[in-house]
Amino acid sequence: MSTARAGGRWIRADLRARRGQATLTVLAVAGIVAALITAVTLLEDGTNPWRSLFAQTDGAHVWFYTKDNSAQVAGTRSLDGVTQMAGPYRSAPVTVVRDGKKQPAALRAMPATPPQVAHPVVAEGSWLDPAQADGVVVERSFARALRLRIGEPLAIIALSGERHPLYVRGIADSAEQGFYPAWAPGLAWVLPQTLDRIEPMLGRSEWVTGLRLADAEAAQVVSQRVVVTLDDQVQRLYTWREVRAAMELDNRLLGTLLALFGVVGLVAAALALANAAGGRVLGQLRDLATLKSMGFTAAQVALLLVVEHGALGLLGLALGTLAGWGFAVALLGATSVAPMPVLSIVAGTALVVLAAVGLPAWRGGRTPPIPAAPAQPLRGHLSRLAKLALLVRLPPALVLGSRDAFTRRVPAFLTAFGLAVPMMMITIGLGVWATLDNFANHPDQVGQHAALHVGPGKLESAAAEQLVKADKDVRAVYPAADVNALAAGEGRSVRVRAIGGSADPYPFPVVEGRMYGEPGEAVAGQGLLDLLGVRIGDRVRLTVGGSPLIVRIVGRAIEPDLDGEVLSVGLDSLAPKDSVPPEFYALALKPGADRGEVAARLLAQSSEGLDVQAVVNPADRLAIIRVLIVALIAVLALIGLANLLTASALGLRDHAFDLAVLKAMGLTPRQVMATLVTGTGLLVVLGVAVGAAAGASVVTWLIDLQGHTSGVGAGIGRPPSGLSLSIAVLVAVGTALAVALIPARRAARAQVPVTAR
Amino acid sequence: MTHAVLKTVNLVKVYSGGAVPVHAVRGVDLVVEPGEFIAVMGPSGSGKSTLVHMLGGLDARTSGEIWVDGKRADTLSESAWALLRRKKIGFVFQFFNLVANMTVTDNVELPALLGGASPRVARERREHLLGALNLTDRADASPAQLSGGEQQRVALARALANEPSVLLADEPTGNLDSRNTRDVLRLLSKVHKDGQTIIMVTHDARVAGLADRVICLLDGEIVDDGRIARRRTGTAGAVIDLR
Ligand SMILES: Nc1ncnc2c1ncn2[C@@H]1O[C@H](COP(=O)(O)OP(=O)(O)O)[C@@H](O)[C@H]1O
Ligand SMILES: [Mg+2]
Repeated sequence: MSTARAGGRWIRADLRARRGQATLTVLAVAGIVAALITAVTLLEDGTNPWRSLFAQTDGAHVWFYTKDNSAQVAGTRSLDGVTQMAGPYRSAPVTVVRDGKKQPAALRAMPATPPQVAHPVVAEGSWLDPAQADGVVVERSFARALRLRIGEPLAIIALSGERHPLYVRGIADSAEQGFYPAWAPGLAWVLPQTLDRIEPMLGRSEWVTGLRLADAEAAQVVSQRVVVTLDDQVQRLYTWREVRAAMELDNRLLGTLLALFGVVGLVAAALALANAAGGRVLGQLRDLATLKSMGFTAAQVALLLVVEHGALGLLGLALGTLAGWGFAVALLGATSVAPMPVLSIVAGTALVVLAAVGLPAWRGGRTPPIPAAPAQPLRGHLSRLAKLALLVRLPPALVLGSRDAFTRRVPAFLTAFGLAVPMMMITIGLGVWATLDNFANHPDQVGQHAALHVGPGKLESAAAEQLVKADKDVRAVYPAADVNALAAGEGRSVRVRAIGGSADPYPFPVVEGRMYGEPGEAVAGQGLLDLLGVRIGDRVRLTVGGSPLIVRIVGRAIEPDLDGEVLSVGLDSLAPKDSVPPEFYALALKPGADRGEVAARLLAQSSEGLDVQAVVNPADRLAIIRVLIVALIAVLALIGLANLLTASALGLRDHAFDLAVLKAMGLTPRQVMATLVTGTGLLVVLGVAVGAAAGASVVTWLIDLQGHTSGVGAGIGRPPSGLSLSIAVLVAVGTALAVALIPARRAARAQVPVTAR
Repeated sequence: MTHAVLKTVNLVKVYSGGAVPVHAVRGVDLVVEPGEFIAVMGPSGSGKSTLVHMLGGLDARTSGEIWVDGKRADTLSESAWALLRRKKIGFVFQFFNLVANMTVTDNVELPALLGGASPRVARERREHLLGALNLTDRADASPAQLSGGEQQRVALARALANEPSVLLADEPTGNLDSRNTRDVLRLLSKVHKDGQTIIMVTHDARVAGLADRVICLLDGEIVDDGRIARRRTGTAGAVIDLR
């Protein structure tokens, strides 16, 4: 109690004396935490949209289809654990016709006032209106696949073959089923009377019922009860888990990147705190000795420091959590923030805060109680660097400054290191950026030599081939087929992609081994090698639709799709039943050709008969990472700045006496300032250079490691471009010097008393 | 014989960190009676600071015994020494050693709070001490705003805040001009008259003249231990000399 009281006084006084620095520490930690939480939420939302859709629509956990709308169906409302019910809604299978293509759809009857549970959320346009009985609201992913816009007509063909024109009134989100086309049929809502008009036969429709549960985890149990209660009335049943799984992206790559950024953020937070606390403790050793001579024990001094600096860190953590939360809510809505990752960030940061503060605190506690004289005189000898400066006849300020820089080793190290680590991280961030740029600018280096995949669609294969080969912007046409193959002993299928012939192979980016050259040879992605546990040179035996496919893997290719679990072969390696006629044609375009234009032209020439798909570049999927990199660089810059201010505050404190001496020696204020800035500047240049060099030397390795674990495979990493790296270095050094200039100027101008304190 | 406030038996300190071990204190036997004012003299490097630091537990002894208020203290752990210091030992150093960020008020109240006094008691004690040391009007100043003499008076107030059994002062006037030296010495002799036991290191003979016992150290050994007759201590003469 007595120590707490005395310690409280000391902490309060100390914080009051360095308000600015304490604020900066809090802000740095808050910035890191806020950035981390925002990043995690954005990534989580990008890779797993189900959660926020489910929350926005007050979704149902269990969905089941029945033939009739019987009393028992309504009775499931009173099952244990069920809180609310959606439906039963009548649903009729129809076909929609759009651009001459037919797509399967489920037409769902829903009232004009949306229900409380599982209500679609209108993203564009408006909800159904009884005044417009020919209105339809289309689920968003379905609408996107059909390229539908508000107000456009949509032809519906009922099972009877009758055609009904409807008009798109709205496009809405739903968590009821996965995205089209992964989850088919597509979903569209109409008013009950409209559905009655389109499909008057009750026998041709089903009833869909959703149950919202008190506890999502009970979905399994409730579904079993539903099945038991309704006996054989249930035709299909699925839970939110299936929906979520269907919506998830293959996110191994994003997951590992997220972990990487998380670790970087925490390291940065630890560094900012350790530096602030460490610098402070170093500057305070004399006061700590005094405290001990008064009767504070070593443990109490250490505890005092942990409490003081830990409180700053935890305050930053709290503020950062609030800010990050607020930011995520503002961006994505209140329900979008996933509690688990946020909680783990908060817990992780709290641990890091305490660990980062612990070391300097322990060091402070070990201070011998014997009081030292104030401001130890600088060690007498000139550093080697200073001698060099003298040798080449530099101005006195530079000589003195370079001497200053290294006379106190520990603070010098802290300053340089405190800048080197953020700079290293920034370099890595730039390298990731360069890698993404490389993906985008050279898709052929990531296995996307072809920009378009064209299926024959309504055309004959031969006609389609002729058409695409005739296009003026098409450089090469590779007949191709994607088939699923079962690997012996593996419970799941893998993708076999056959493009082009074996003798004249599609230019897969082979980074290990060689390209296949004859039928029976193949190249594989890292993910496939890992999955099957095979190496280059091994023979693998697969089954494609009952017929065996035995190939020897002769190389490894960069493979951005399907977590790298892809085997690539020549089309002639497949059995004729799978390869003739080819499923689609992969089109490599001439340099400078616009893929959109080519696609449009092909569609027009075939009167919309061809099925043209643009190949999705992985960089597009990873666009969110660029946002992260920018945020990360901002936070790291803030941390570097905080470290620098700590360092220069410490340096000035050490130099308070020297300043008077320097002035007495006849240095002008400008020279004094130059001396101080030179001292800091040398360390800045050293730290930034070391950081950039370290970052540049590990970045390709790091990205390749990351590529390896994500199945894409090593060989994608690119160092940041020389230009962007030099700009980063110059900006860092320039900012650092500008920041160091402010306190130096103030100190040089101040009247320093020459007497002892 | 009343029991000694402080007693050492064959106290030895060897600094063995460097290339050659330094024998800073070699076998000091010292008994300090309650109410004594001892001046420790000797040339620079003779082991005065080392001795005083060991008496207060700031530095661990190499061998020998230290007794504080009749209890063995040299075997105490570092933190047990810290607890002992709170109640029994007050320190004043050459460089004042005030906590730079704290006001005069906080600096003086800190040891009282640490010693277990309630904030009210600590405040009363501080008011009393600052009043006695003529510092009441500087109570809210920070150490950097004070002159050297004022800082040393604050340090003295802080050392006395817990009414320690013994006040250890290491060259308290070593860094002061003569006017401030006089102020600080006047205070020391005042608290000594009130019964405070004091051990003061100095190499100024005139300052030592204030004490009633002068010990001379040379190369870590006591070479002279002279009691000065009561009538000569604190005479106006010594103080007037300084004026
Ligand atoms: N921490 C230390 N490490 C090594 N030697 C020391 C240390 N402190 C003091 N000494 C040495 O011990 C001797 C006594 O020092 P000190 O007690 O400070 O003398 P005084 O206070 O009388 O000037 C000196 O020779 C000094 O160099
Ligand atoms: Mg000394």
